[in-house]
Amino acid sequence: MIDFVFPLFGRFHPILVHLPIGFLAFGIILVFLSKKGENKHLDSIRLAYLLGAIAAVLSSISGFLQYQYEGFSWESVQFHFYFGCTTALFSFYLFYEINKYNSITSFYKLKSGALFALMLFTGHLGGNITHGETYLIEPLPAEVQNFLGYETTANKGLEIPEIGWEELVYYEDVVQPILNQNCSSCHNSRNKKGNLDLSEYNALLKGGEDGLVLTGGNPEQSSLFTRLVLPKEDDDHMPPKEKRQLHSEEIELIKHWISLGGTTESKLGDAGIEPELLEPFIKKEETPFYPTTAVSSVPEDNLNVLKESGFFAEPISEESNWIMISCINLSSFSDADWEKLNPVKEQLAFLDLSRTQITDQSLDELVGFPNLTVLKLNETGISGEGLEKLLKNENLKNLYLNKTQVTLEHLESLRNHPGLEKVFVFDTPASGNELAGEFSFYLERGNYLLPKLATDTIVY
Amino acid sequence: MKHLDKLIQELSQQQLEKKTRRHFLMDCVSKMGGLALAPLMFGCGLDSKPKGLELSQRDLNPLAPLPPPFRGKAKSIIYLHMAGAPSQLELFDYKPELAKYHNQPCPESLLEGKTFAFIRGVPNLLGPQANFTQKGESGAWVSDFLPHFSQVIDDVAFLKAVHTDQFNHGPAQLFMQTGSPRLGRPSLGSWVTYGLGTENQNLPGFVVLTSGGKTPDAGKSVWGSGFLPSVYQGVQCRSKGDPVLYLQDPDGMSRDMKKNLISAINDVNKEEFNQYGDPEILARINQYEMAYRMQIEVPEVMDINDEPEYIHELYGTQPGKESFANNCLLARKLVEKGVRVVQLYDWGWDSHGTDHDGSVDMGLRNKCREIDRPMTALLLDLKQRGLLEDTLVVWGGEFGRTPMQENREGKQQSFLGRDHHGDAFTMWMAGGGIKKGASYGITDDFGFSGIDERVSVHDIHATILHLMGFDHEKFTYDFQGRPFRLTDVEGELIRKIIA
Ligand code: HEC
Repeated sequence: MIDFVFPLFGRFHPILVHLPIGFLAFGIILVFLSKKGENKHLDSIRLAYLLGAIAAVLSSISGFLQYQYEGFSWESVQFHFYFGCTTALFSFYLFYEINKYNSITSFYKLKSGALFALMLFTGHLGGNITHGETYLIEPLPAEVQNFLGYETTANKGLEIPEIGWEELVYYEDVVQPILNQNCSSCHNSRNKKGNLDLSEYNALLKGGEDGLVLTGGNPEQSSLFTRLVLPKEDDDHMPPKEKRQLHSEEIELIKHWISLGGTTESKLGDAGIEPELLEPFIKKEETPFYPTTAVSSVPEDNLNVLKESGFFAEPISEESNWIMISCINLSSFSDADWEKLNPVKEQLAFLDLSRTQITDQSLDELVGFPNLTVLKLNETGISGEGLEKLLKNENLKNLYLNKTQVTLEHLESLRNHPGLEKVFVFDTPASGNELAGEFSFYLERGNYLLPKLATDTIVY
Repeated sequence: MKHLDKLIQELSQQQLEKKTRRHFLMDCVSKMGGLALAPLMFGCGLDSKPKGLELSQRDLNPLAPLPPPFRGKAKSIIYLHMAGAPSQLELFDYKPELAKYHNQPCPESLLEGKTFAFIRGVPNLLGPQANFTQKGESGAWVSDFLPHFSQVIDDVAFLKAVHTDQFNHGPAQLFMQTGSPRLGRPSLGSWVTYGLGTENQNLPGFVVLTSGGKTPDAGKSVWGSGFLPSVYQGVQCRSKGDPVLYLQDPDGMSRDMKKNLISAINDVNKEEFNQYGDPEILARINQYEMAYRMQIEVPEVMDINDEPEYIHELYGTQPGKESFANNCLLARKLVEKGVRVVQLYDWGWDSHGTDHDGSVDMGLRNKCREIDRPMTALLLDLKQRGLLEDTLVVWGGEFGRTPMQENREGKQQSFLGRDHHGDAFTMWMAGGGIKKGASYGITDDFGFSGIDERVSVHDIHATILHLMGFDHEKFTYDFQGRPFRLTDVEGELIRKIIA
């Protein structure tokens, strides 16, 4: 029979929590109203703090019960709980202090202020649990939200997949995202500038202050379109000129949708639009330059060790685990130094050993770096002997051998390389001779000359 | 001592400037919170341990390399700026229709609402003063002013309808280089160096070379660092005399002595750091060491004497002279050595027609001859070394020129010239990430305005940053309480010229 008491009491938490707020706020106001040495509110303050403290304890207990019985996770409630208990304890303490000293000092006022802050913060944490952490943030303008570090759904913008875009629903997948990005910060269900809500189709149909904004089939009669193409200086131009402006393709897409009738049914593929219009929005699945195999990221410490020994060593980009290494400030690198690169064996994708001391021996080491994509060996002791060892570096795409001793015969051995795209052999024996036949890769032999022209010397 | 006081004052002033009302409120919040919590924590008091020093690479060395946010197609930039603004109508923008109306009064409709720097009243139209042919597989039109360059146009992408809203050199150059026509913003090169640092720790990250006898009208602020820390500004190097002023030791100072001096200064600085833990001191130590290293490497890389003869022939270089050709060769050497941004300015393109040098049929031809071979050579040399794979080359002026003949003070001039014009002009880019042989932008029959595929200065900046691995909308620096961007609130990628 007792079973239901606790859960029921727990459910009173949302009501109970307002009691301590009221009592304590009243007490705190009285504390601040009291002038120095004046005692006329002392009794009331005492009572307010005592009741507040008791109510806070009850709130904490009921809150804990609610957590126990209603499936909240501890992570989500723990700080609210701690701060609630702290509020209760702190109000007891203030009650105790005023009983003891029977007067209100300025330090006491300060503590009461702190109690107020504590109480507000506890309440805020509670609000976050029930209404969601972004409850207070959402109505803010998108800029402020961004400023505070919140990712607004609004600023994602339109994205269209490269394959299968024909199947997209024109309104839902194309028009709405454009509106979300550019209009909904001012035209949503909470914030209706011009009494217009553009956050969903039915709201859009209702129109705004000046009536309907959409006349299906007739863009020129739809202010949803006409306002976009007004001159930027015009007061009626949308979005207002200090905002991100729509790109011409976005306007064109909206116009086209209205001409088609402005319904939610049509598919993008049936709309007969030129694919060119969509190009800026297509998230291209570019064939990535570097290998697609996943590798773990190199620990910061390992990179730092490399940097300290003089290498340029950085990830290719912030979002990539591939590493770029160059010996631009480490020309002393030699065949004996390869083990320094062991910590990045898997991740090394770009290696520049130009102008270092390496010789043909180093070619044996390269096998250990399966993901090498760009390899620069310019101006080194590479003679070209044993170049075929690079066949094992299947991911190699660009190979630089400028100012080495490689010959065309050496390059022959790379003929069947699975991935090689470009080889640079400027200023080598290979750059001089006649080319016997085509290579499977682009061979840049350089030796460009510009003819002497009469106009080179004519002064007008 | 006076001097030191001034420095200290400046430092504290700077720190105070960084404190905004927002910081103050934030401080209040955290401190009030602490105050409230202090008695609650059962009197254990505040944690008295000093916060562990967390120094980033950047605190120690402001030029330490950083990875770009996403994979950049280019690692370095060579930007060739033709100061004074070359005439697109004599170089790349072929307008046969304009030739037909040569010497006819300009239609009023073109002049309405426009402001010109010098043109007054109704000027006459001026037909192209060059002969055009289509070149390469791309079939781009190039004039006979650039016979060498016309051989490599399949490697470049043209932007034919660039526009700017500035019509005077200084502001327009600032706009082109810093994204704002007014002083105070960091240059493109500074932004990139700030974002990526420098690859070669013995050389500056951003080098500026000038030719043509004068520096740009806008002065050094076109390569300034604006509100970014000043280490990111361009370092002007000279192709004649000492490459970097004040870098060499005074007579009688040996390398050893210098070394001792620097290590002594650094020891004192280290002591200072141990006492106060201010990372600025470490940065200072680092900079002394860098300057010491640069003393060796800068003169080396700036010396073109040891380049082979055929390279000199290719570029048309003459060591010891200050010339665009020498600067092009230097640009290649610098990029090869891991310099992030090389900015070239060539002065003398302001063809108003006020004298022989400023005429579009003669003076301009002479200027073109000065750059034709070198810039072509630069592209070929970068290409044969494979450097064009990850170097972006940009060419352009600060605006274009009018299809009308200039009539300064309403009078006919003795030479053929064109006035400043920002509505439509041509630029080109080549190399890292650029679509070869592309052409973007169409101008009207007189080459007066862009009618399609126009691009703004911000669009160009957005595209350059994109190629270097940045999203121009996210690449910001906080200053005066708000984040700043190179592209301010504008800029769209020019996708059609990206490979
Ligand atoms: C910065 C806020 C803001 C943004 C962003 C914005 N608007 Fe508005 N909009 C307003 C204000 C304010 C009004 C009312 C004043 C007026 O009629 O011009 C308005 C009015 C309108 C109206 C007229 C409604 C009526 O019937 O009176 C239309 C249509 C409209 N906006 C469309 C759009 C579209 C489409 C977008 C996005 C592309 C957009 N707006 C973005 C602020 C904004």
